[in-house]
Amino acid sequence: MPPRPTIAQQLAAKQREISVAEFFERNRQILGFDNLQRALLTTVKEAVDNGLDAAEEASILPELTVEIEKRKDDRFRVAVSDNGPGILRREIPNVFGKLLYGSRFYSHRQARGQQGIGISAAVLYANLTTARPTRITSKVEEEDTAHVLDIFLDTQRNQPRVDSEDVVLWDRPHGTRVEIELKARYLRGRQSPFEYLRGTAIVNPHARIVLVEPDGTRVTFERATTDLPPPAKETLPHPYGLELGELGSLLKASRRPTLGEFLAKDLQGVSARAAKELLERTGLAAGAKPASVQGEAQERLLTALHEAPLVSPSSDCLSPIGALLIKRGLRNVLGELRPEFFAPPVSRPPKVRGGFPFMVEVGLVYGGGLPSDQPVQILRFANRVPLLFQQGACAITNAIASVDWRRYGLDQKGGTGIPSGPALLLVHVASTKVPFTSEAKEAIAEDPEIDKELTLALQAAARHLRTHLSRKGRREFASDKFAIIQRILPKLAERASRMVAKPVPDLTPVITRIMDVVNVETRVNPGPDGIRVPVEITNFTPRPRVLELFAEVPPELLAAARFDPAPDGTEPALGRAWWTLPKLLPNARTTLTASFPPKSEVEANDFDWYVAGIDEAHLLGADPLPGDWEVRLPRTIVEAAEVAAQESATSGATEEEVDYDAAEASGGVREED
Amino acid sequence: MPPKRAGASAKRTDEPAAPVRADALTPTVDLARQIYDQLRRGEIPRMRLPLRTKQNLAFQSRDGVWRLGKAMGTRSARKLDGALMLLRTFCVVDFINEMAADQKTSTLRELYYISEGWDDAKFHSEDESNLLIEDLEVMCERLREDFRLHPEENGASVIGDLTLKEKNRKGLVKRFNCRDDVGDGGYALPFNVEKEKIEFVGTNAKFVIAIECGGMVDRLAENGFDEKHDALLVHLKGQPARSTRRFLRRISDELKLPVVVFTDGDPWSFRIFASVAYGAIKTAHLSSYLATPAAEFLGVTASDIENYDLPSDKLSEQDVRALQTELTDPRFATAEWRAEIELMLRNGKKAEQQSLAKYGLNYVTDRYLPEKLASMGIG
Repeated sequence: MPPRPTIAQQLAAKQREISVAEFFERNRQILGFDNLQRALLTTVKEAVDNGLDAAEEASILPELTVEIEKRKDDRFRVAVSDNGPGILRREIPNVFGKLLYGSRFYSHRQARGQQGIGISAAVLYANLTTARPTRITSKVEEEDTAHVLDIFLDTQRNQPRVDSEDVVLWDRPHGTRVEIELKARYLRGRQSPFEYLRGTAIVNPHARIVLVEPDGTRVTFERATTDLPPPAKETLPHPYGLELGELGSLLKASRRPTLGEFLAKDLQGVSARAAKELLERTGLAAGAKPASVQGEAQERLLTALHEAPLVSPSSDCLSPIGALLIKRGLRNVLGELRPEFFAPPVSRPPKVRGGFPFMVEVGLVYGGGLPSDQPVQILRFANRVPLLFQQGACAITNAIASVDWRRYGLDQKGGTGIPSGPALLLVHVASTKVPFTSEAKEAIAEDPEIDKELTLALQAAARHLRTHLSRKGRREFASDKFAIIQRILPKLAERASRMVAKPVPDLTPVITRIMDVVNVETRVNPGPDGIRVPVEITNFTPRPRVLELFAEVPPELLAAARFDPAPDGTEPALGRAWWTLPKLLPNARTTLTASFPPKSEVEANDFDWYVAGIDEAHLLGADPLPGDWEVRLPRTIVEAAEVAAQESATSGATEEEVDYDAAEASGGVREED
Repeated sequence: MPPKRAGASAKRTDEPAAPVRADALTPTVDLARQIYDQLRRGEIPRMRLPLRTKQNLAFQSRDGVWRLGKAMGTRSARKLDGALMLLRTFCVVDFINEMAADQKTSTLRELYYISEGWDDAKFHSEDESNLLIEDLEVMCERLREDFRLHPEENGASVIGDLTLKEKNRKGLVKRFNCRDDVGDGGYALPFNVEKEKIEFVGTNAKFVIAIECGGMVDRLAENGFDEKHDALLVHLKGQPARSTRRFLRRISDELKLPVVVFTDGDPWSFRIFASVAYGAIKTAHLSSYLATPAAEFLGVTASDIENYDLPSDKLSEQDVRALQTELTDPRFATAEWRAEIELMLRNGKKAEQQSLAKYGLNYVTDRYLPEKLASMGIG
């Protein structure tokens, strides 16, 4: 049996070349090298993207070190090391010293770098600004030593030139290190390498990234998970997204013996029957060699392909971050700001535009140390790559600006534009083909399909924020009430009773009058044998209550949970469970407990509680049962709900009195003010 | 609801450590009983108090002052603020009884710091503690001095031919004249200016001029205005303290001297005059005792700014708001005040007392005051 080719060899087998080096030398601004600050960032970005892609493709947890060192004046040295599989010696010059050389040129899958111009453009920029070669150190696992090559890029011929070469020992099993000396400027703040790496760390919580800044400051973004994202599958091109040139290249390169086979096996979504119909419509011969279909026949074929009813492009070639990892990533990187709320991240189902699948994900963080008097922070990502420039021109920004955030609790002048408030929005667009506004890949172009998905995802995240803010308002109101009944009232009763020399009376009736709510409180107690989530339901109203309690949790959490007492009913697919509670007298409490295996990721936020049998005004920590649940309630609950509704309809009739302390605080004119 | 103190206090002989009068806090025991009964009946504890707001000022034609009207508010334990104030009321009562046992008095500021030890009931600001003491005054129909509490700062200073006897902190009675026997700073009013502390012996002054700023008091003193015009100068120090207002009231009542008020020409000075003449909103329960209804406003008026062509400043947004608020204040609801406020709003200008120095240091005493006083029929 022949040895299995290594990953590096597999990648090498796919390398192809295109010669446009000279063109790009004259147009280096479109590659992101038009000023000194941007040149530095682009160099870091290309090297980091490559490192992450390389490690992930080899199923290795990425570990990257980015060192930026000031040489003299505006000369900097950028060194990026990764722990990827390494690059075979013979491929090194091409990967780094030749523009548009890459393994992904024709692949249809989501990857960070799509065109493969990146890192060699940085090498070229270094050539042009410092006349220094770029040093590549790379080691593959099956060799004992690493190769060190100093490379120039010959812009006339788009050919690498190896300046010198050596073999060294490297104390790691595999990996690549790129050292580039370039003219640059190092700045902190927005659009800095720090910001870029922070964004990268948020959406790649499986990566560990170290940044060493010119002044020696060392920043480490630790990984928040050891689970690699599932590898994005490579898929065949879908006809709906094909253009003439690409179809021509595919036909020419195809190894299928016949056109019929080409249609069925080199393209996605074309069934045998569809292939047959296509051939009939175009009058092309099924047995023709694919490469022989040229010129006008090619155009006919493309038109027919675009018009044919085909199976939609598959979306398993997408690599979304996923709700769980968005949450972990944000928590990991923003944790020290102590935000009060991490909205459940929104991951929209994949959609298709043209022949390309895409999907939108949104994360929202609110409060804590985020500044409240400034526009919300926007973190834009395309295929897990942070977008730092051109924010104003980006479809993501425009989608954010067209949502009326005032409805969801953020400030926004006139209901359009970037809202302000202590919030951060993370927006990720994943696609096999992200429509960028330019080759510099800094902003996503407007597209009605993407726009629609962006808006829906943002609105879903915004609804979570609104719910959070309204619950917070109720909690603050409630915390006043709890302070009264737990701390103030007992002392007041004690002092008043002492002054009249009588024993302190039972305070239950007063407590229930002051509170007048049923309170549902969820706690999370992690322990060695698992996580216990006790839920206390307390009747702080002056009358007995018969209630039905409903829980809604992510279905996978419900599946892992054991409840005591057991629910009276569940709907596992929807993550729902419910209980008929024992009759609760005033000031009485009942507890139910959910238990989860150790290390489960459970938060009080994961539980949404709904209660039937009492109206919204008398509920705390829970909401009334939504109408669309379509559950059949026990008779007793239905009756209780009717009584409760009557009760609150008449309760508004109590005497309206002027609150002395409120009047004092607002109405009293002070002579001195 | 005139405070009972005024008549009874003369009998006290054991100052300064007088005990709380036996019945001063009786109403708080009634409050405790009321709250206890509410708790027994399962009702949310609450009490009712007359509202001390601008809207609840009522003119007492008998006294000629503005006092609290009939509108009542409820302080209820349903709200955190109300619950805290109820609890604090009893904390303060305990504290007052402790002071009485130890023969101590305390300043309002000390009370505020004492409350640090009250856990949840501690005051969050001195405003809160001051308000509660005023509530207690209203509830018990007493003065805060009856609760052994007094303000930190004393009243302002007096310069002029007034002879009085003051019983000092050692219990010795000193007799002196406020022009001849005091330094340039004048006679400093103590916080207690009641009869048991200060007795008026005699005066040759023909009127009292109450002045907002210290600089203007000094100017008049240096120019010998008090002697030339037989005037008693009283420094208000901005918004006047209770003792200053009580002192003016006693002079007006007992020595039958006219009182004129000389302030800056701005909305805040109007309020200073209102608190002297009509009674302040915060202490409206004490107006019959603190306000001097006979007091008259001398200036600087809005028309003075024009007539004397005084250097002026533009009204700020706050100034304009304050003037507009005054138009809804019942104390200013007279044709004269309305015209004055509206004129100031129209001109959009305010001026300081000392802007009169534009015409030289003697102008205020040689021209302005004599002219204004003559127009008021004084001096």
